[in-house]
Amino acid sequence: MKKLIVCLLAVMLILSFATACKKKPKEVPPPPPQTQEQPKVEKVEAPVVQEPQLTEEELFLQKSLDQINREKPLGTIYFDYDRAIVRDDARAVLDGNAAWLKKFKTAKIMVEGHCDERGTEEYNLALGEKRAKAAQDYLLSTGVAADRLKIISYGKSQPINPGHDESAWQMNRRAQFLVIEK
Amino acid sequence: MRHPKRLTPLPILLFAVVLAAVPAARAQQEVVLKISEGMPMIPLALPEFVVRGSSGTAQAAAREIRQALSDDIKYTRIFQLLPKEYYGYIRPLDPDKIMFKDWDSIQARLLVTGEVRDEGGRVVFDGKIYDVKSERFIIGKRYQAEKNGLRLVAHKMADELLKLHGEKPIFTTKIAFVSNRDGNDEIYMMDYDGANPTRVTFNKIKDYMPAWSPDQRTIAFTSYRAGKAGLYLRNIYEGTETAVATKGTNYSAAFSPDGRKLAFCSTQAEEGNADIFVLDLETKKTKRLTYNAAIETAPSWSPTGREIAFTTDRLGQGNPQIYIMDAEGSNVRKASFGGNYHDSPAWAPTSERIAFVSRVDSTFDIYVLNLRTNQISKLTENNVRNESPSWSPDGRHLVFSSNLSGSVQVYSVDYDGANLRRLTDRGENKLPNWAN
Repeated sequence: MKKLIVCLLAVMLILSFATACKKKPKEVPPPPPQTQEQPKVEKVEAPVVQEPQLTEEELFLQKSLDQINREKPLGTIYFDYDRAIVRDDARAVLDGNAAWLKKFKTAKIMVEGHCDERGTEEYNLALGEKRAKAAQDYLLSTGVAADRLKIISYGKSQPINPGHDESAWQMNRRAQFLVIEK
Repeated sequence: MRHPKRLTPLPILLFAVVLAAVPAARAQQEVVLKISEGMPMIPLALPEFVVRGSSGTAQAAAREIRQALSDDIKYTRIFQLLPKEYYGYIRPLDPDKIMFKDWDSIQARLLVTGEVRDEGGRVVFDGKIYDVKSERFIIGKRYQAEKNGLRLVAHKMADELLKLHGEKPIFTTKIAFVSNRDGNDEIYMMDYDGANPTRVTFNKIKDYMPAWSPDQRTIAFTSYRAGKAGLYLRNIYEGTETAVATKGTNYSAAFSPDGRKLAFCSTQAEEGNADIFVLDLETKKTKRLTYNAAIETAPSWSPTGREIAFTTDRLGQGNPQIYIMDAEGSNVRKASFGGNYHDSPAWAPTSERIAFVSRVDSTFDIYVLNLRTNQISKLTENNVRNESPSWSPDGRHLVFSSNLSGSVQVYSVDYDGANLRRLTDRGENKLPNWAN
């Protein structure tokens, strides 16, 4: 039986070969007319990789903490002499800072309390801390999470204005905000 | 053989404070006082030292030691150095045969002699103290030193004089302070006269408010490392450092007189609100002493360790006052009066007096409150910021910081406001703390 199938296959193979050979002699078509073909201008263009549209938050995360702080995204607030109470003019600044914190949800900040030179070292260090705390409390009241806000006092040891008049003192009685985590 | 004896002929002088009150024109309660402390000063003769041998080193050393010893003696406010010219009236000193009658004739009560010799490149100093009236040798000391130790030899001899007088030594003690001379605020220390400034902490982080332990081996200080103000102890001779309080802001440390406890100000219990705490250095347990929403800071122990003076603004923000409490936190009472801004109390180690800073307008001056008489005397008077007073161990001198020269520097002044001198000049220097 097997032999029969092999024989049959062999016959079929021979037959098909014979018909293929028979078709080969074919008439050659005449060559097409020789026309001067103009070269096509090919535009060479590197493929443009579509950049992803970065969100503000993604841009924020790309920056270093130094870069972020250099841009001073958070406003400084100022205090009255010998006081650690958030003034009316500071509320708008703090609201702005709170809005920023709501936008960049991962950021954590340090609230630094500072004093002018017209206080003693010890009392000023304590007063600076109260100022930082007052600013922190305000931000907490706007709904910023407590674990995003740290406070520190430098007393009078880091004045921003080295002068010795009221305008310098006013600039130095402040709470300023430093981004410490993003 | 002569034996050191007690200074019997000299009665132990009680330093009763004689107060001559002159009422101030302005404030009713505030009284400007002229304090003349105790007895007349004791006349002391310090003849030229005898140099054994012909060594130039010994001769130079003799001059240097004698100069430093003279400066120390003048600083004491206890001894009065007799003028050199007086020695011209009497026979020169023969260390082997003291003619006490001679020294008595020029009114000397004490005679201090020195002999210096060169022993193979090392200087050996023999100092002797005599009581002239009773013609007695009191005490002798022999010191050996290299060139860089000669001032210390003089200071040790001067301290012997203080000890004879029943006083705590001051000349070999150190003043810790904060300086930015090498960049940022770091802790340094120096001699009582500003000599030998030595850096103690080395980093780029702010170190602040040093306080000596009574054994003068450890400095407690605040450091802003780790993003907050923690309290650390540094053994300056072993170079070891221990963190003792790092939760919240911790500063204004003060060792108890027995060295077992550390009072300090901290926000560890209530964020943003400074209260007084005491750490037991043996059990490592911290106890809170004040419970108040107001600021409490600047603790200072009484000489007995039973009470603590401190600052609080419980009467109103911007109105700090000095209070006293028992060392356990009870029996709180107000101590300062006559002003609306008092801070930085420093309880004298030897008496019932508290030095403090008072602000009037924008100037700060150092005052001394006598707790027994409730009278206040003003030590500084110069329209600038005089701050951070700290007493010498014998309570006769204070160091403080002042911007008198324009920049902030450390000064010393005597208990009565006399003898103001500047101790520092490189960079800005502040927060002095005299070991006692």
